[in-house]
Amino acid sequence: MMSHRKKPSNAHGSSQSTSNAGPTATQEEEDDATFTQPSTMQVQKGLEKLTPAQVDQKTAEVVQYFLVKDQKKIPIRRADLVKHVVKEYRNIYPEIMKRAARTFDQVFGLKMVEIDPKNHLYILINKLEPVTGASPITNPTNPKLGLLFVILSVIFMKGGVVRESVVWKILKNLGVDIGEKHEEFGDSKKVVIEEFVRQRYLEYVRIPHTEPVEHQFRWGQRAEVEVSKPNILLFMGALHGQEPQSWSQQYQEAHRAPNSSQSGTSSQR
Amino acid sequence: MSKGGRIGKTQQRMTDSFPGLEDKQKMSSTGPTQLTAEMLVIELQKLSESLKEDFNAALSEAMAPILPTLESITNTVATHTATISQIESTLSSHSDDIVSLQQDVATLKNQLASVSDDNSALHATVEDLISRSKRQNLRVVGIPEDMEVRQPREAALDAQLLVVTTDLGNEKASQLSAEGASFDSVAFTEHLLSYMGLKRLTNGEDGQQNGAAFGYLPQDAWQKVAQRAENCFRAAPSFHYMMGSFHAEPPSPKQRIERQRKAPTKEVKRMMPTQLKKMGDSHQEATEKEVERILGYLKKYYQDDPTSPIFYYEFVIDPNSFSRTVENIFHTSFLIRDGLARMYLNSDRLPCIAPVEEGEVEAGGSSIRKQCIVSISPKLWKEIKEAYDIRNELIQPE
Repeated sequence: MMSHRKKPSNAHGSSQSTSNAGPTATQEEEDDATFTQPSTMQVQKGLEKLTPAQVDQKTAEVVQYFLVKDQKKIPIRRADLVKHVVKEYRNIYPEIMKRAARTFDQVFGLKMVEIDPKNHLYILINKLEPVTGASPITNPTNPKLGLLFVILSVIFMKGGVVRESVVWKILKNLGVDIGEKHEEFGDSKKVVIEEFVRQRYLEYVRIPHTEPVEHQFRWGQRAEVEVSKPNILLFMGALHGQEPQSWSQQYQEAHRAPNSSQSGTSSQR
Repeated sequence: MSKGGRIGKTQQRMTDSFPGLEDKQKMSSTGPTQLTAEMLVIELQKLSESLKEDFNAALSEAMAPILPTLESITNTVATHTATISQIESTLSSHSDDIVSLQQDVATLKNQLASVSDDNSALHATVEDLISRSKRQNLRVVGIPEDMEVRQPREAALDAQLLVVTTDLGNEKASQLSAEGASFDSVAFTEHLLSYMGLKRLTNGEDGQQNGAAFGYLPQDAWQKVAQRAENCFRAAPSFHYMMGSFHAEPPSPKQRIERQRKAPTKEVKRMMPTQLKKMGDSHQEATEKEVERILGYLKKYYQDDPTSPIFYYEFVIDPNSFSRTVENIFHTSFLIRDGLARMYLNSDRLPCIAPVEEGEVEAGGSSIRKQCIVSISPKLWKEIKEAYDIRNELIQPE
């Protein structure tokens, strides 16, 4: 039990850290840059020096951290995770993540997804498929979800990209004026372009060559994995009294094979 | 000329016509009136001259008013001529201009034709791309490279046209749905509003005169949408401790701190139970030890005098301490439970206790089980003490 206290010096020595972070890198980026994924050999060695109980303990801490962080639906950065929870166990990081993923899967029915492989951001999504039609359980839902749903649906039905002016106009027709304080959402524009974007439900990018500056909305990385396009179409169909298939292009898009859905990211990025 | 009469008629006539003749006749009244040709000629000449003069005068008289008019006419004609010549020159210059303009127009027409050709070519290309690509960015290829650019302005215009066309193509591509129904946002908002249960304002209500007045959405309108929308999200349910609801934000760092602290302390805790276990064991041992000791006392007293019975209350009561008495009763009960001692009522119906002989120790299960509850209170303890007159405790405190 005393042995793991010596781990810090060993850990830093064993995982050869090459910090490529430039002088302007943020603290998180530096932390992440100093964290290089340990090799399987290193993981093996690391595991030998620890008791199973210790590894389980650390796994449990990671699981708890994820669950609490996910309350706000803000993606979890690998840098934060390593800095605050994994700490001296970073040399067996892949093993811990593997076990954590298994716990989520078997105990909670959740899936741990890396939505941004470049910046190493993780979210938790529900493994179970959503119930078609209205949920039988009526527990109080956050009305912001309705707002988000409207925006995501509009973006999807209009082919994946929408100018911000279009979105603001539609919201205004629904009684949400971004110039005024809304009684339920407060500063609606802030909610949309800050909160939803930070949660990675939406992307808000500048359109080049526009004067005055205009932005466009796309689906964010979280929305791509979390939101069910076929269900949106079903709702649209119910709302308009039409068959979902009548929007043939969107229908095709919604029922595309899952591994090609990642190609929605444009080369611009 | 009344003179003369008939004779002089001809003369009269002649004098009328030739006034000078009469005079000459008079002058030459003496001589025969000889009209010689010479005299006639001279008179005729004089006549012609006078006639000439008359004519001249008359002519000039007549001409007099005409001359100024003529002059003016001449002037006017002169001015007209000047004007006409000016007009001619202007007209010629105009015709020059027109000619050059026509040439310009011709060249512009050519340019326009070429530009519109390019435009239609671009449109065709863009349409082709629209029908092929869906959401990828457009890369417009096939723009004619061999366009002759005569002036930089043309190049700038071309570039602008390209940018505008591609932007247009981009927008059209994103808005286009080649087959199937298009998505109409107005219809969508209408349907959604009625789903949310919008109560529209009719004109004249509440003094709002807008024809397109928004109306009132019920309180839970957005909630309703959110609930319906829930099934479109594969969102992980928010994790909350069941112990209570508190705002998620502050606990996040607290949890981390707690866990940090827990990590080392749990190690320590793990050590503690092992120690406690030992204590627990020793505690048990203490009871057993005590019971053994009491058994020892009991046996000793019994052996001292096997015939006289040991009174139970005499045995257990400690006159100096009530709590010790209770402990003694507790420990004695173990002896009886384990079958190492027995209690019985003597002839006076007082409880007595005696150790069970070695050979008589029976297995707990075989004997008929009897139960008895002994209770004691400080008052009772005092009474018994006095009744039995117990002065010394039989069970020595350790």
